[in-house]
Amino acid sequence: MKKIIIYKGHDIRISGIPTKETSSIPKSETVALLPKTFRGVKPKLLVNEGDTVKIGSPLFFDKTKPDVKWASPANGLVKTIQFGARRSVEKIEISVSGTEAIRGEAFRQEQLTRADRPTILSRILEGNLFTLIRQRPYNKISNPNDTPRDIFISAVNSAPLSVQIETVIESEKEAFQAGVTALSKLTDGKVYVTFRNAIELKDAIVQTISGPHPAGNVGIQIHHTKPITPGDIVWTVNPQHVITLGKLFLSGVYVPDVIVTVAGPGATAPQTVYAKVGSRVDSLIINQKLTDPTRLISGDVLTGQLVADDGFLGFYDSAVTLIPDTVERPFMGMLSIGSSDTKYSLTNTFVSLGEKLFKFTSSQNGEERAIIPLNAWDNVLPMDILPNELYRSILAQDIEEMEQLGMWECDDEDFALCSFACPSKIDVGAVIRSGLDLFEQEC
Amino acid sequence: MKWLKNILDKIKPHFDKGGYLEKYYPVFEATDTILFSTDKRTHSGPHIRDSLDVKRVMILVVIALLPAYIFGAMNIGYQMALSLGQTNTWSENLIQGALKILPIIAVTFGAGALWEIIFSVVRKHPISEGFLVTCALIPLIMPPTIPLWQVAVATSFGIVIGKEIFGGVGMNIFNPALVARAFLFFTYPVRISGDKVWISGPDGYSGATALAIPAAEKSQDAVTLLDSVSQFDYSWLNMFMGWVPGSIGETSTLWIMVGAIFLLVTGMASWRVMVGAIIGLTGMATLTNFMAELTGSSNTMLTLPAHYHLVMGGFAFGVVFMATEPVTGTHTDKGRWVYGIFIGGLTVIIRSINPAYPEGTMLAILLMNAFAPLIDYFVIQGNIKQRMARYAK
Repeated sequence: MKKIIIYKGHDIRISGIPTKETSSIPKSETVALLPKTFRGVKPKLLVNEGDTVKIGSPLFFDKTKPDVKWASPANGLVKTIQFGARRSVEKIEISVSGTEAIRGEAFRQEQLTRADRPTILSRILEGNLFTLIRQRPYNKISNPNDTPRDIFISAVNSAPLSVQIETVIESEKEAFQAGVTALSKLTDGKVYVTFRNAIELKDAIVQTISGPHPAGNVGIQIHHTKPITPGDIVWTVNPQHVITLGKLFLSGVYVPDVIVTVAGPGATAPQTVYAKVGSRVDSLIINQKLTDPTRLISGDVLTGQLVADDGFLGFYDSAVTLIPDTVERPFMGMLSIGSSDTKYSLTNTFVSLGEKLFKFTSSQNGEERAIIPLNAWDNVLPMDILPNELYRSILAQDIEEMEQLGMWECDDEDFALCSFACPSKIDVGAVIRSGLDLFEQEC
Repeated sequence: MKWLKNILDKIKPHFDKGGYLEKYYPVFEATDTILFSTDKRTHSGPHIRDSLDVKRVMILVVIALLPAYIFGAMNIGYQMALSLGQTNTWSENLIQGALKILPIIAVTFGAGALWEIIFSVVRKHPISEGFLVTCALIPLIMPPTIPLWQVAVATSFGIVIGKEIFGGVGMNIFNPALVARAFLFFTYPVRISGDKVWISGPDGYSGATALAIPAAEKSQDAVTLLDSVSQFDYSWLNMFMGWVPGSIGETSTLWIMVGAIFLLVTGMASWRVMVGAIIGLTGMATLTNFMAELTGSSNTMLTLPAHYHLVMGGFAFGVVFMATEPVTGTHTDKGRWVYGIFIGGLTVIIRSINPAYPEGTMLAILLMNAFAPLIDYFVIQGNIKQRMARYAK
């Protein structure tokens, strides 16, 4: 068994750690999918306002890949369909009224072990759950016509305030195994599952990773296992989604459950909760008493998206992070000695001793400036990539150099810590993303 | 300090878009954020950020320069007293020196700020804190006897030609403070070429600097020669402590080391460059010592041992505060080693092979500033080659 050890990176000591136990909260009255948040997808509707849908019925499909449809996470009435500019579909909102689901063929574990690729693939496509499988490069929804080199599953959540995924897998071991077995049929290569502490698993190569965040990022794990080279396509699936796929095969229905952390320095009662895919954010923060201005983030604090009170949990997200949306402006702050309550830095530039959890706010802590190459990026990027040079080649739109410097292996989420640590307050991840977009257009 | 913040908040609308002072927004912004930090919030990406910003980076470098400033002031007073045949207390020395330094600092910051403001207003970019470091460095590499108008001209040249024409901090290719000094060095060599000592003492008082002594004599042993000087104490220990004439901040290796430790602990300078430079200097000096013996050359400088090179002239100051400047140096870790080693080696070469310039560090760093992108290019090509080999498999 391969043991990956990474040294670069950082576990941000942010306050508001969620409880280990998962609690039940009242379910969201409406759920929604946000088609425009899926990268590179041209959504085409399959329902109209006022239609009744069951759990698992298709809501819309992608014009560029018509086989790929999105399953409804709820049974109820299509309440609103919101359009944006040029009639792009922005939101499909469903008011939940029941639990009726579309039932398809179910498999036993032995049947899964014997099944072939077409059977598995068509079952996932019929179940409208192919959207759970994403590909690298580009980190977008996969194409069912591709056969991936390998499939990678990261069973490690190293991002700040994320779900204790080991416990989730432990409690859903059977479904997880079924999902892994099913996925193993889709590739000619292997399914790699990376854990902190290895558990026994069939039909997959189990490996472990140790080290700080971003150890849990699947891109880092691919890089240290079998790097992506030009022309390679690798599929990735979130561990919670492996369970969802496993349940689809074992029970024949889509179970739109997701375990979500509601946490962060802005949360008054940080907790882990049972939720449905696409829940309204305000239904998830029902136990939080928010008095001061608070920013709601769907996803983790490094890569999540800002959402409004009436916003919805992102399709792939399993965290709602709350941070105070305030900025403190101390007099002559740049001369302050600092303390573990007022300053948090990866460098020794402030006297902030101890391992105290820090109450982060949305303050940028400085203005955007030109790059000062102090290795702030290199120190938190556990990849054989020269981030500074890659960044420059993207700004120069030099496609050839981008490829030479390892663009294929990069995804913006792996560079989030670089932006966090950057003294010049540059959003490195956003530039990496723009490089990937350019790459996708040109290659 | 609430009242000050209230005043700033009150006058802010005049500087905003549409206000009658709109043009001077960078000046307002700089004042506001220097006094009260920024009010900017994240909008996407990482919603939280490290507390370190460029303002803090720059102010930490200025703090690292303080030991050199304080010692520099004391040394000026000490050298004055020495030339007059007096003995002063350390506080008298400090006051005498401060009286010499403060006008230089004032002129540097005045000229620097003026240019920074002009460029920010005209080119509509924010005032960069980088000029604080540049302006803090310039007085330390000037002799105490420098005329103030030359300080103003050199600072202007350094800021404008060394930095602003490239687009400001982060885009410059040469260290602006060194550009300022090089400008004086070649334009007004009488004042600053580094062969005669600079002491604010009685008129006409003169002597040779430690580096000029072995450079001027033929076929002698450098160390014996230095020990024989009676005008100044050019023993190794005294030069390490810094009680010798020289530019304001460069003489005391000890106090520069204190600043270096501060920079390394805070991570504001690359230890690779510093260690590389010491290795380069030691290696090249050992080689020249060996060559001197082997060839029987009459060049006395070749016999100067490495540990003397380390404490003489501007080497320590240049390596700690100039060579480690992250923007103009190499940007890759491997490149930093090469860059440092070359700076150390070139310093010895310029010092010993070319006796017209007894001070070699400044030229070595400027030369390597020019070559830094080339070094990085080779490091990057190395990285690319490895990756391409993997792709080919």
